Amino acid sequence: MTAGPADDRVRVTIAVDVPVEVAFDVFTRETELWWRRGPRYRNAGDAPGTLAFEPRAGGRLFEEYASAAGRQVHVIGTITTWAPPHRLAFTWRARNFAPGEVTEVAVEFAPTRRGTRVTVEHRGWATIRADHPARHGQAAAAFLANLGRWWGDLLRPLQDRGPGPHFPK
Amino acid sequence: MTTLDDTLAALADPTRRAVIDTLRRGPRRAGELAAHLGVSAPALSRHLRVLRRAGVVTDDAVADDARVRVYRLEPQPFADVRGWLDEVEAFWVDQLAAFKAHAERTAAPAPHRAAPRRRPRGGRA
Repeated sequence: MTAGPADDRVRVTIAVDVPVEVAFDVFTRETELWWRRGPRYRNAGDAPGTLAFEPRAGGRLFEEYASAAGRQVHVIGTITTWAPPHRLAFTWRARNFAPGEVTEVAVEFAPTRRGTRVTVEHRGWATIRADHPARHGQAAAAFLANLGRWWGDLLRPLQDRGPGPHFPK
Repeated sequence: MTTLDDTLAALADPTRRAVIDTLRRGPRRAGELAAHLGVSAPALSRHLRVLRRAGVVTDDAVADDARVRVYRLEPQPFADVRGWLDEVEAFWVDQLAAFKAHAERTAAPAPHRAAPRRRPRGGRA
């Protein structure tokens, strides 16, 4: 698996030993079965619930779960590209996003000799205001988006070198 | 003690970003920064104060003149923001690993295609 942020996006790729058609179907129709559980991955946290795509253009990606306040439905986003078995894209809004703040997740399924290369790109952070109050992983990426290439250029050498000649103590 | 919010607020201003961009190339005196960026000394002073409070830059006196301050970048605030972005990445790394495990456990493997071997030479379109 390879991963890495680039400018305003995070991109992660993995090789899966199933044909593209299967990969696409499993991704979109068995989401509940593979999507991780727990507060890090679901709004439901550890509570029982489901997370599913409505597998069609315009369909929703939503969570449904029980909470103390009753049954909750949280729509994460809607499908903007439905092109089985090669491409899927959907909007992604965290609970704490303001109206108008939206990111997009694009998923590509590319056939390989052994199966499928799946690439997820989470992008569009430029719509998120830089001072987003949420202590949420996504807000940082939003901020990076606003600063664009300048920021990427700054971070890479800092991360590569760490404290060094540029930061004399 | 600084926080990510301080860092983000400090960097929300284009002049302050220009200051950082300049300091990437090495420590500078305040006067040099003002001249380089074309801003007045009082204006620069205000920006530097914000950056200092956010922990983005630090300043030291030069050895032979305590009145002259040399500014340099502090790497840690950037590492913090970078770490935040890494969480988004880690989220998808985890999800795709789970997806792969599930797909390969439950689905038939991809048929190994008898891909036509490309001949070293003599192939004709």
